[in-house]
Amino acid sequence: MFITDIRKEFYEVVVNQRVALLVAPDIDAICACKIIQALFHCDQVQYTLVPVSGWQDLEDMLRFYRYFVLINCGANVDLLEMLQPDDDSIFFICDTHRPVDVVNVYNDTQIKLIIKQDDDLGVPSYDDIFRDEDDDNEEGSDSGNESEGSEPSGKRRRFDEGVGGTKVRWFYEGVCDKAISKLALMFHSFLRREILFDYEQYEYHGTSAAMMFFELAWVLTKDTKDMLWWAIIGLTDQQVHDKITHIKYVTDIATMQRHVSRHSHRNEDEENSLSIDCMRISFEYDLRLTLYQHWSLYESICNSSYTSCHFKLWTLNGQKKLQEFLADMGLPLKQVRQKFNSMDMSIKENLRDVIEESANKYGMKDIRIQTFGVHFGFKNRFLASDMVHAIAALLESTEKEESDSDNFIKALDSLSRLLHSGIDLAKKKLIAVQQTIASCICTNLILSQGPFLYCYLMEGTPDVRLFSKPMALTLLCKYLLKAFVHSTRNKRCRLLPLIMAAPKDVEKGTVIVVGIPPESETSDKKNFFGRAFEKAAESTSSRTLHDHFDTSIIELKTEDRSKFLDALVTLLS
Amino acid sequence: MDPSEVEFLAEKEMVKIIPNFSLDKIYLIGGDLGPFNPGLPVDVPVWLALNLKQRQKCRIVPPEWMDVEKLEEIRELERKEDAFTAVPSPYYMELTKLLLNHASDNIPKADEIRTLVKDIWDTRIAKLRCSADSFISQQEAHAQLDNLTLMEINTIRSFLLDSLNCMYKLRSNLLPGSNKGQFTDY
Repeated sequence: MFITDIRKEFYEVVVNQRVALLVAPDIDAICACKIIQALFHCDQVQYTLVPVSGWQDLEDMLRFYRYFVLINCGANVDLLEMLQPDDDSIFFICDTHRPVDVVNVYNDTQIKLIIKQDDDLGVPSYDDIFRDEDDDNEEGSDSGNESEGSEPSGKRRRFDEGVGGTKVRWFYEGVCDKAISKLALMFHSFLRREILFDYEQYEYHGTSAAMMFFELAWVLTKDTKDMLWWAIIGLTDQQVHDKITHIKYVTDIATMQRHVSRHSHRNEDEENSLSIDCMRISFEYDLRLTLYQHWSLYESICNSSYTSCHFKLWTLNGQKKLQEFLADMGLPLKQVRQKFNSMDMSIKENLRDVIEESANKYGMKDIRIQTFGVHFGFKNRFLASDMVHAIAALLESTEKEESDSDNFIKALDSLSRLLHSGIDLAKKKLIAVQQTIASCICTNLILSQGPFLYCYLMEGTPDVRLFSKPMALTLLCKYLLKAFVHSTRNKRCRLLPLIMAAPKDVEKGTVIVVGIPPESETSDKKNFFGRAFEKAAESTSSRTLHDHFDTSIIELKTEDRSKFLDALVTLLS
Repeated sequence: MDPSEVEFLAEKEMVKIIPNFSLDKIYLIGGDLGPFNPGLPVDVPVWLALNLKQRQKCRIVPPEWMDVEKLEEIRELERKEDAFTAVPSPYYMELTKLLLNHASDNIPKADEIRTLVKDIWDTRIAKLRCSADSFISQQEAHAQLDNLTLMEINTIRSFLLDSLNCMYKLRSNLLPGSNKGQFTDY
């Protein structure tokens, strides 16, 4: 069930208990985890932090705790059936994955959802899909009204008495034939399947978990600038990894802007100005060039997806266009190739406006985007998107032989401490992404399979180890699709979704497969590959592992790859 | 003594806070504290103030001497005089560091205060060095230093005592035929 008063129904319940915090490995979850950890520290709540990367990790934790807080995992599956917990365990779920499983919505006792109800949830009403087992024997109809919705139909679940008490008894009226009522039952179960299929077909994302926990902190009046910054990073993660629509992003930015102005009005006072070491968050209408303040401007333009796609930097023509662009702005090449901090002040002053003007001439209308920046001390200035890339690189770093939990803890720490190692890793990752994209497009590795595009990264590809991680592979996939849409002349291919496969584990012989929706200006980011993958795996009995919280990412045995793809093609055409 | 021990002793000093919670009087071994009412200032030891601040349960009010004009006057006075002048607080250095590290958002003009306190410290330590130097070179038997804080004494203690010991050994080994004329190893 949905929680309405987050303070009374969630925080005051857990504040006196031992809690298990189960956190998914994505940046929004990490930021939300930081916020709730800070709140727990203030009130000295005992908790255990467990980074979980898949469903199998969740099952081990059940025996020791009664109260669980799940961050960015658990809302889109039937949790009670999957985990089989004790009857007195309570799960608080704050998850951005939609659609929320109907059982989680209608369970009143064990599952509490920390999700805003005015998100476009579209949960089917209770009467449409549930029916109590007693009604199997009782048949009947309302006076003449046999159409949809009049007879509740559904499946059995373990429910509280209160829920079961809403069963309505329908009685025989007149001489209704048993055959007619059986037909009615079949019709309603068909309708129920239809409704559930429509509801669960597309997967998408809702409001950031970090923002939900920041609201909790605000309601408790314990919000600080640190927590606000983490909430902003969580929101920016959703935008960088293309999980929410642009409209939703802008709306959420407006919400955050109110909080930012509330926190920063104290800086204005000249008499009592704050120490330079205090964190200052400011609203920026800044360029879409990734990491440009920590890199040279030239490198940043070459490695940002937006500019590289519009210029088509994998072609010779594109490189020439880039040189033209720089000449048009009047920026000497020597300056532009230097580290950003060492560029001339005269160039840096109006840089954003100059770039925006020239970018408009080259067809890049949205080179600026609304975001936030932070600075503390004299040296540390970061934009929210810089932090997102740095933390993503730290979280999935394949440099040394470290376990996933070590990477998780490092990424968590980097939110409080400085990030320079993360930024270096992020630069390497972005360069690798651009090179892979260039090689895929130039060697035509993207094949059209009919209803979708397909690309497979061979084992010998440079940096392929980086792409064995789900988030990095998804990022590569999205950038590749954007680049492909800009480079192809085939109008039909531009509207196709993309499936990408990369080797995950050479010894076990598995590949990781990711599917993303088609690229368009007004895309609503709804992904249907989750269900499609499940059905294809079933029909070909391929050995797959649907362990990831995002249902559109699966692991597959390399040998089963071709029959899985054929099944998908038949399924989707 | 370790500087961290001196800091520990400094945390017993009292400072004013404005809590945002309410609690009855608490009876601790070192004394009674409270009662705490939201919005009303109360005196607590620094260790408690910092703990409450980190849990966002209070706002720290800077001590009266932690003010830019007062510290500038003290600094000028220190530079003019040859002897040590009175300090704003016996633990001024530690308190500045603790309060500015944890509660700099409650203290106006924190950067200037940090610079001023460092200037005062530098002047006093320079005077201490000169004084120790003249003590040794003129082979004085005793010296009187007023207004020194524990942290400053602690800074020079081990060096001064060790060097005096060394000088004593060297001097005693120079005297011919005396009983103390044996080499003693450490």
